[in-house]
Amino acid sequence: MTAEPLGATDRKVGRTTGRRSGSSKRLARIDAAVGLSFAAPAVIGVLVLGLVPFGYVIWYSLHDWSPLIGEFNWIGLDNFTRLIADDTVWSSFLTTFKYAALLMVLNITLALGLAVLLNQKLRGTTTFRAFFFSPVIVSAVAWVLVWNYLVAANGGINGALATIGIQGPNWLRDPTWALVTVVVIQVFKGVGMNMILFLAALQNVPAELKEAARIDGARPSRVFRSITLPLISPTILLVVMITTIGAMDVFVPIQILTQGGPGRSTTVISYLLYRTAFEQQDFGYASAIGVVLFVVVLVLAALQWSSRKRWVHDEV
Amino acid sequence: MRSDVITAQAQGATGDLTGGSEPVRSRRTPDSAHARRHRLWSKIVLYTLLCVLSIPFIYPTIWMIFAAFKPTDEFFRIPPTLFPETWTLDGVAKIFTVTPFAQQYLNSLYLATVITIGSIIVCSLGGYAFARIRFPFAGKLFLVLMSGMMIPGEVTIIPIFRWVADLGLMNTHIPLIVLPIFGPACIVGVFIFRQFYLSLPGELEEAGRLDGLGRLGLFWRIALPLSGPAIAAVAIMKFLASFNMYFEPLIFLRSEELFPVGLGLTRYQDGYGEPLYNTQIGATALTVIPVLIVFLFAQRQFVEGLSRTGLKG
Amino acid sequence: MTGSMNRRRFLAAAASLSAGAMVLAACSGGDDAGGGGDAPDGPVELRMVMWSANEGHHEIFNQIADAYIAENPDLVSAVSFEPLTGSGYVNALTTQIAGGDAPDLAWVSEANAAQFVQSGVLYNLQPTFSETEGYEIDDLLDGAIDVWSADGEIYGYPFSNSPFGVYVNNDLLAAAGQPNPRDLMASGEWTWDTAMEIAAAVADGTSTTGFQPSDDPFTNWNSALGAMWMSWGAAPWSEDGTECTFDSPEMVEFFDWFHSQIYDTGAVAEPGAEFDFASGQVGLRLSQLSSSTGLGDDFAWDFVPMPDGPAGTVPVVGQGGVGVVARGDNPQVAADFLAYFTNPENSALLAQFFPPPRESLLTVETLSAAAPALTEEQIQGTVIDQALVGVTKVGHVNMSEIADPVRVGLDALWVPEGDAATVMPAICEAISDSLAG
Repeated sequence: MTAEPLGATDRKVGRTTGRRSGSSKRLARIDAAVGLSFAAPAVIGVLVLGLVPFGYVIWYSLHDWSPLIGEFNWIGLDNFTRLIADDTVWSSFLTTFKYAALLMVLNITLALGLAVLLNQKLRGTTTFRAFFFSPVIVSAVAWVLVWNYLVAANGGINGALATIGIQGPNWLRDPTWALVTVVVIQVFKGVGMNMILFLAALQNVPAELKEAARIDGARPSRVFRSITLPLISPTILLVVMITTIGAMDVFVPIQILTQGGPGRSTTVISYLLYRTAFEQQDFGYASAIGVVLFVVVLVLAALQWSSRKRWVHDEV
Repeated sequence: MRSDVITAQAQGATGDLTGGSEPVRSRRTPDSAHARRHRLWSKIVLYTLLCVLSIPFIYPTIWMIFAAFKPTDEFFRIPPTLFPETWTLDGVAKIFTVTPFAQQYLNSLYLATVITIGSIIVCSLGGYAFARIRFPFAGKLFLVLMSGMMIPGEVTIIPIFRWVADLGLMNTHIPLIVLPIFGPACIVGVFIFRQFYLSLPGELEEAGRLDGLGRLGLFWRIALPLSGPAIAAVAIMKFLASFNMYFEPLIFLRSEELFPVGLGLTRYQDGYGEPLYNTQIGATALTVIPVLIVFLFAQRQFVEGLSRTGLKG
Repeated sequence: MTGSMNRRRFLAAAASLSAGAMVLAACSGGDDAGGGGDAPDGPVELRMVMWSANEGHHEIFNQIADAYIAENPDLVSAVSFEPLTGSGYVNALTTQIAGGDAPDLAWVSEANAAQFVQSGVLYNLQPTFSETEGYEIDDLLDGAIDVWSADGEIYGYPFSNSPFGVYVNNDLLAAAGQPNPRDLMASGEWTWDTAMEIAAAVADGTSTTGFQPSDDPFTNWNSALGAMWMSWGAAPWSEDGTECTFDSPEMVEFFDWFHSQIYDTGAVAEPGAEFDFASGQVGLRLSQLSSSTGLGDDFAWDFVPMPDGPAGTVPVVGQGGVGVVARGDNPQVAADFLAYFTNPENSALLAQFFPPPRESLLTVETLSAAAPALTEEQIQGTVIDQALVGVTKVGHVNMSEIADPVRVGLDALWVPEGDAATVMPAICEAISDSLAG
């Protein structure tokens, strides 16, 4: 779907260099060799460490495999029939979607809000920018460990709420709050990155356009909606895609904060996969879950991609 | 699919954070007292908002630094306390004895450095090839790269786990280095470089050709020296990711001496499985502080490097 | 570029990717089990993984290992004792074994013993133990090696056979005007109910809590509550492990009772709250001998036997066992080392920290070295008497499969309106397949 710009550039580059040089055939041959060998490490790497292992995953998913005992037996589609009837798997997919959707909404709203705030002409925005960005560079484990203390039932946040007479919920142990709490902790961790991307996009919106609209009598909110938002929509798409892919991969906060509980309210699919493979030593079944996960990611990516034209302005 | 996003991004947001003149102010009519008061108020509101919003971002870090010096029973208090009532070094003293913390910190630095340098080499070569060289199967190979991006890492860990075991590489750093440099995690880096090289004016290379540079020379003498922003973006991204590595070490490593610091942080327990709260939090603070200091000094380059080429995906 | 072009390429990429990779993979697959028992040529290095990182423990281990190496320089050149701390001990251990990087020896707790023994992960120690001179295999307490045996052969040695007791923070109890458990024991009133009354009076809900089980009951139900429900005569499954008894009246009664201690009386802290006995924040704590080393003299404390429950006095021991991993490189050498590591002399050394499963060693003299903080009375009454008659906490052949569904089921109980009568049958429904299989 994206080879077009690549092909086009290639052709142009090839043609111009070809015309200039006397022995274009020789140059083309050298280019072919150099190009292939430049691209080789990345391409071979992805083949060997991505695509081929995925083939193995499909192969494994057709087996009953307990590596602890060393059994590896062909069982056809049994893992998939088991999977279809397995509520745990489907609830984990649902939890993953909930997690990703909530993270997306909170993260992007907050990132955009912060970017707009920091885009005001105020002294000291650099300092605040550093504040908001700093969790991005704090190690993921460290961030989560600290919050684990703060959100404990008798931890800092509830302690603070208690002093003003509010009984805070049991953040990580209450099924209605646990996932939200994990999401919020992750939003604070990562929103700085998206904020920077938005900030860059905002500063690239031509001031004349906004000014013109303002002179035409548009209120600031209207200017934002009609001028700014459409102009930064490519960045929004980008941020949405990065954030989704990141959300599908979440592991550290779940492992450290909730271990998937209470109940299964925070068991996301990547965590279920890890547990199935490395805790229950059921590699075959874990592979089957992996295959389904891949299909789901594929469908989601396709949906996001095909919907982009409807809301992304001015994509060339 | 990612490449188009990046194209879009490159067109949408190659802005400079420091740039941008503001014609608005110059056009304003002379300030009336009313307008000045209005602006003062909106300033106060904005600053208050920014301060309140800052709390969840910086309070955890400040809290962990002080908590390291608290006795365990002060961790949970109502009302919560930030400063220790009784200062103690009990927890901090154990940081280096309970687990090989210093070694783990060095491991993380070493892994992150090797992975970052390796990634820059692999990604810049690949990005350059796909952006500026015409070679057979370029389109198809590019498609291969892209499809790799859709494979979630936790899915392929099972066969890779098995290969690592068969090759006898368990409990070594080799899989931790090879995977992020060559595996699907490197694709994004290739895209960033490709995008950057696409935007380089072709005239530069033509001039290089006239000076008698070959393909290698063009890359080495012309393209690479100009790719500072792309290198910065990939370096920041890769360094952060590999310094934070947790899942792969959890699976491939067993010796504490080989752990990166993130995994080591989760192992602060005494011999009977009782968690050492203040030791753990002290170690956590020690992990975070150096990185924060580096960030504070380099934050301008850091943030602007990111926004310029775009850690776009 | 057009949309249809995009979609076509996208699908093509996906299809070719799955198909191509599958073909590549189909030729091979998982196969050999690895490991083996070939006699090594020269001296080998052995590796034992464990959950203890305690320096005192490791000192003893190294002392025993050095003596063994001095006696058998041609067999073993070094023994390393590798701590695997953190919550994921079993995970980390099984991952090592699955990854072909199996340790030679490994600690296993009683809950997972059956699983490790039955699945063939552990190596048969019977021949080595019975051939080793002076091993005195008959000295081992019968009840202690039950879960480590199968078909009359022994697969693991329970080096730690440690009874559960209750640590008491006397200062907190006195401050709350509560009776001393020793006095209650003397008058026969030391029951779980009175213990919880005391606990409820001690707990102020913010800086102190009343009673703390041996582990977090909300995430590690078995290690936290497994010793307690035995006082109700309850068990999670039938003795052969095939039938779920979570829904038995005794079990429902126990969980009902425990639930009310959290949500009605407040004797037990709610899920997610953190308290630390060693810092003086807990009135009563269920635990084992080994916890005494973490206690200083910041406050007056005691270690008393478990209270009586509806089923009377039921002493319970928790076990730590050590076995040889069959898929390790040198299982026979490892077994020989283990026979030395756990012979009567060395068991006496280990007894400094772990109550041994050997009757001859369960004496105040051997054990008081372990817990110098404990009085003779505490050692005799709370440790030795209990260890001799104690029932081992249960485990299961499919423990790793059962643990999580039960945790999930129990989470429905850990809310104020949770009802054991409805939660317990649901748990049985969730795990019946795993129990039977």
